[in-house]
Amino acid sequence: MTAERPTFSPFWHRVRAMTPRLRPQVQITRQHYRGMRWHVAHDPTTNQFFRLSPIANEFVGLLDGTRTVEQTWELVLSRYGDHAPTQNEIISLLSQLYNSNLLRVDHSPETEQLLGRGKERTKKKVQQQAIGLMYFRVKLFNPDRALAWLEPILRPILNPVGLIAWLVLLIAALATVLPHWGELVNGFGSAVAPSNWGWIMAVFVVTKIIHETGHGVICRRFGGQVPEMGVMMLVLLPSPYVDASACWAFESKYRRMAVGAGGMIFELFVASVAAFVWTATRDTGGLTHQLAYNAMLTSGVSTVLFNANPLMRFDGYYILSDLLEVPNLMMRSTGMLNHLAQRYIYRIKNATPPSSVPGEQAILIVYGIGALIYRLFLFVSITLYIMGQLFAIGLILAVWTASMWFILPVGKFVHWLATSPQLAEFRPRAIATSLALLVAGTLLVGAIPMPDHRTAGGVIESDQTTSLFFGADGFVTKVHARPGDFVKQGEPIITCESPELVAQLQLADAMLAEARSTEQQAVAKNETAGAQVARGRVEAIQAQITQARQRAERLIVRAPFDGVVVGNDPANFVGSYMKEGKDACQFVNPANLRVAASLTQSEASWLFELPHDQYSVEMRTLSQIDRFIEGANIRIVDAGQRELRHQALAYSGGGTIETEQQTDQRSAPQAKQHLWWVYVDAKDASQLVGGSAPGERVRLRFTLPSKPWLTQWVDRLQKAIQGRVTI
Amino acid sequence: MSQALTRYHALFESLRSRRVKPKVPSGVDMAFGRVLMRAKNRRINIPWLRDQAQQIDLLAPEIRNCSDGVLDEHITRARELFVRGRADEESVRRALAFTREAARRITGEEPYVVQLMGAMALYHGRIIEMLTGEGKTLTGSIAAPLLAWRYRRLHILTVNDYLAARDAQSRGQLYRRCLCDVGAIVQETEEHERFEIYAKPIVYGTPKQITADWLRDQIRMGPVNTPWTGRQSLMAGGRSGGPMIPGLHAAMVDECDAVLIDEGVVPLIIARSRREHDMAQVYRDAARIAAKLDEGPDYSIEHVYRRSELKRRGQHRARQMFDELPDSIWRATRRAEELVRQALVARHCYTNGRQYQIVDGKVMIVDEYTGRFLADRSWEHGLHQAVEAKEGLDVTADRETLARMSFQRFFRSYPFLCGMTGTAADATGEMESVYSRPVIVVPTNRPVIREQWPMRVFRTQESKWRAIAESVAELHAKGRPVLVGTRSVAASELISRLLESIGLPHRVLNANFDKDEAELIAAAGYGREHGREASITVATNMAGRGTDIKPDDAAKKAGGLHVILTELHGAKRIDRQFIGRSGRQGDPGSAQIFVSLEDELVRFHTPRLARLVSRRVAATDDELPTSSHAWLFRLAQSRSEKRDRINRASVLRQDDWMDKYLPGH
Repeated sequence: MTAERPTFSPFWHRVRAMTPRLRPQVQITRQHYRGMRWHVAHDPTTNQFFRLSPIANEFVGLLDGTRTVEQTWELVLSRYGDHAPTQNEIISLLSQLYNSNLLRVDHSPETEQLLGRGKERTKKKVQQQAIGLMYFRVKLFNPDRALAWLEPILRPILNPVGLIAWLVLLIAALATVLPHWGELVNGFGSAVAPSNWGWIMAVFVVTKIIHETGHGVICRRFGGQVPEMGVMMLVLLPSPYVDASACWAFESKYRRMAVGAGGMIFELFVASVAAFVWTATRDTGGLTHQLAYNAMLTSGVSTVLFNANPLMRFDGYYILSDLLEVPNLMMRSTGMLNHLAQRYIYRIKNATPPSSVPGEQAILIVYGIGALIYRLFLFVSITLYIMGQLFAIGLILAVWTASMWFILPVGKFVHWLATSPQLAEFRPRAIATSLALLVAGTLLVGAIPMPDHRTAGGVIESDQTTSLFFGADGFVTKVHARPGDFVKQGEPIITCESPELVAQLQLADAMLAEARSTEQQAVAKNETAGAQVARGRVEAIQAQITQARQRAERLIVRAPFDGVVVGNDPANFVGSYMKEGKDACQFVNPANLRVAASLTQSEASWLFELPHDQYSVEMRTLSQIDRFIEGANIRIVDAGQRELRHQALAYSGGGTIETEQQTDQRSAPQAKQHLWWVYVDAKDASQLVGGSAPGERVRLRFTLPSKPWLTQWVDRLQKAIQGRVTI
Repeated sequence: MSQALTRYHALFESLRSRRVKPKVPSGVDMAFGRVLMRAKNRRINIPWLRDQAQQIDLLAPEIRNCSDGVLDEHITRARELFVRGRADEESVRRALAFTREAARRITGEEPYVVQLMGAMALYHGRIIEMLTGEGKTLTGSIAAPLLAWRYRRLHILTVNDYLAARDAQSRGQLYRRCLCDVGAIVQETEEHERFEIYAKPIVYGTPKQITADWLRDQIRMGPVNTPWTGRQSLMAGGRSGGPMIPGLHAAMVDECDAVLIDEGVVPLIIARSRREHDMAQVYRDAARIAAKLDEGPDYSIEHVYRRSELKRRGQHRARQMFDELPDSIWRATRRAEELVRQALVARHCYTNGRQYQIVDGKVMIVDEYTGRFLADRSWEHGLHQAVEAKEGLDVTADRETLARMSFQRFFRSYPFLCGMTGTAADATGEMESVYSRPVIVVPTNRPVIREQWPMRVFRTQESKWRAIAESVAELHAKGRPVLVGTRSVAASELISRLLESIGLPHRVLNANFDKDEAELIAAAGYGREHGREASITVATNMAGRGTDIKPDDAAKKAGGLHVILTELHGAKRIDRQFIGRSGRQGDPGSAQIFVSLEDELVRFHTPRLARLVSRRVAATDDELPTSSHAWLFRLAQSRSEKRDRINRASVLRQDDWMDKYLPGH
């Protein structure tokens, strides 16, 4: 259903006799958007733009300063019939052109009005700055002369060949850096160390200036003017910017995209060079190495997080907008979502969508939803992060952003609801709809109990756990069972060999033989006393041999009962020399398995508040993630302790518990916070036994009594703040 | 030389007042602005006014004893102070005492203390509510010289030409004594006379005349919006002759709620005919197509908004009919459908005897608020032609708008504005928000003793009219004069026929019979006396504003004038205005309202509720209990008021948008 477009306007008389024309300096270029032709009027002196449809363009073109608006309209009407603009559309077109200073109406000077409009614009700018406090900008100077000098120098490489060369360089840089990935990751720690802050800031400013120069140079390369350069606040980080909006008038979308991408191209060029430098100075280290690292970090991170991200209004957004040929993507996608709400929730029949082309509509809807979610995500994560660092500033920022992004729209919405002429006929219905939605939303969030789940990480352990030790000094030669393997009682787990023991045995054997022969000689000689002594010696040596045999027997670590190997992997010991009494591995009885989970104080608080029968728990082992094991008999060890009994629960072991830096590898890791241990048995014991082995990690999912979402959120927020905030 | 200077001066004044743009606050600003205005204006309240008036009254004995010469001397000195802008509270009081005395000496009537309060409030730019018969004219005329002195020129706006000429005449002597020349602009005033009259300090006229002259100035002088264009147009002055109205300074509006609010957004249009393309046949074809379509399956009508919508089936059928027509305009589907929709609106929302009346083969628009014909006015954008085509009359040529101005916009350009009316209190909010004028209710000189009889509610129109006729007969038998008020010409004729059929002598006052209006109004207050029957008068809203029906002694003895309202109006104020015809100046009187569930008001504004209620009552019940049904009518009325209010606000917004964003204004 198309909206009503009345042909006549009651205000027509106010424009009909005018003889306006475009100001002489206005240039019009053609552009194509999704197969449709458009014309962009651009006044280079004021840098104002206006997009005209072909018919509007023809109308504007026919205005030559001698024809009246009415005559021109009739001309267009006779040419286009139903497609011609209506009087209302002409009035709004003229007023928009006029207010963009693109239209000259009388031959008389209009200084006063020009000034008046200038003031209005300044006022608007100030308002916008106030709203976007996180994106505050200050104009500094006109970079045109610098760019006019730079651009001819760079011109020989600003072409497709240059682009390919750049790509090759980029790939080569990646290829040099990637083999040292681990080193790259490790470097992060020293990069964010306070001693490097000054350097990283300096590098950031330099790379960003190069970035902006990139936009400027490419814009000039294709004939655009760059009249403004300045500094803007980018989420509390000052960063330079240039005004390359002249490229909006470029005819080719690829050129517009090139200007948009120019910044990233230049910046990544710098990053590539830095990559080579970094690789080359890997051995020497020093400041050059660190600076190269800084350059890679700042360009890489800012490119991925901001510039290339189309969901924020940076380079990527404009590139995407040009690529999809959907101008004004952000505003119109918001408009599209508004329209959908008006059309389907408020059932306003004559609501006009910002686009009537189905393909474009789909893009707008998808983009709109994406941007909305991203905005929410960004808001929550930035706020939480800053609040964790600096509570007060975070809070102020959060309130400010919340008011600008959420409260302001809500206020606008209420205003729309109360005053919109669109709603004039069914305002009561619209208000009722909104109230119903509000009530439904509030009920859903604040009143209807919703399942409340908490998760925690745990480890399977047995209550019959034994440590196995090496029984004798020796080299480990063979491992029969790895953690998780089931071993019957008496069967070997680790076999060690001790050449020393073998030698000892051989020596003992030899000595025995000697002793025997001495004894035999003595007997033959009938030296009773000598035989006695020799016998004693034989016996002594025999005892020695028996002992050594026993020790040799102990070289094989055997299972003390039917059970499973857990803990350290003994295979690590193969080839090494182990002293007697050293830990070999843990050995558990799989018949009595349980799960031990550790919870921090804030996570565990509910455990103390709720009686046992109010919650239940389900567990899943990581090896069989699709199998649920019902938990039972939940026991809490009251006292908080910091010792982490299972390495697997620590960050370093893939768990979720933060641990202190370990000084002694042998001692158990210490958690940063006090932990509460929770033991859970499987309701059906066989479920844990079958297949899963002690030492395996488990996800626990506690099901608490249902609570409204709001309560749950407040609960969690409190905990998040409790955990992070340092005031 | 001096002529050029005068012209330059006039132009300067004109420019200055053209550039005064009242701010239109919106939303929170508006609420805040109102609070601020109230705070700023709270000094001038009833106790303060009464105190001032009493102080003036104390001056009276002293002044009463001066000779004419001394009084003139006093007036001259007072004027001096005002002209030089040196008037303080004391001198305002004294000046009012002088004008009061002058009025007493010239006309013989001495303004009461409440009238002095009113005059004081007017001087301070208030909208005052004074009930009918409390002497608004006198109140205005003692304040007018002060305003003319202080603001150089004062426009006094009256309801109609007759009153403008009469007041200018009857008050002329007073004003001249106060050193203010006075003139009246009426329909018949020649253009060259107008230049002279507008140059006078006090000008009487109807809003329509003055606004139209202002618009003509604008057309003649072109867009005069900057000092530069002003100078240009002065240099070309020989051609244009300068503006007719030398600027807007101060205005005092009589019946200001009617002018500023009811008629506030009815645009005054100056148009000329276009004869390029003969559209008569097109309008006739559109009317023919409209007649063939069926309401329901083909189209729907929204009476409240005077709008129609073609449904899918209707569109299809109409397009088939377009194809058979030769004129090229039917090839452009959108425009063609627009014509058909307009023809449908003309067919269903405009009826002979309500919105218009056919007089001598021409469509004459009947003003909804005054019940009078609007001569030489026509609806815009072909609606007039569509109505003509529907009625099978000659279709006049399309007209194109040259200039257009609503009273709302026009009166907001006066730097000083005050007004009087019988019913301002109901419009306080709008007066405050749109015109930034606070409202003050001036107490009556004598208490009102009019009885308000309970509203009577009927199921059908038919039973309502019958009950009205019975009620008229009953009161007539008691010898009381009765005034029956109707909303439309058609209704007044219907009740007239009904009264005739039961043999009651009566007279009708509507747009069709407005010749002996004055005589009819004079006779409307007669009671039964010496064999003369008491009068019965049936009148449209023509009798609502500015008419003063004086009951004679016989009528007073019988209980005074009885007013019957046959329908509720779209706004409570208009009802009050009409009812206010009885019980003036402490006279006895009574009033009663008759409504039915089939009235336009409830049909358009509360259609579902009205149907629900009428379904609930048994078909045999003709009269319904008032207590349980009056709410429906009040609700419909408040909805109608609200819709009008929103409409006015949106027109105001549009006007402002145009002023702000369109070049040249």
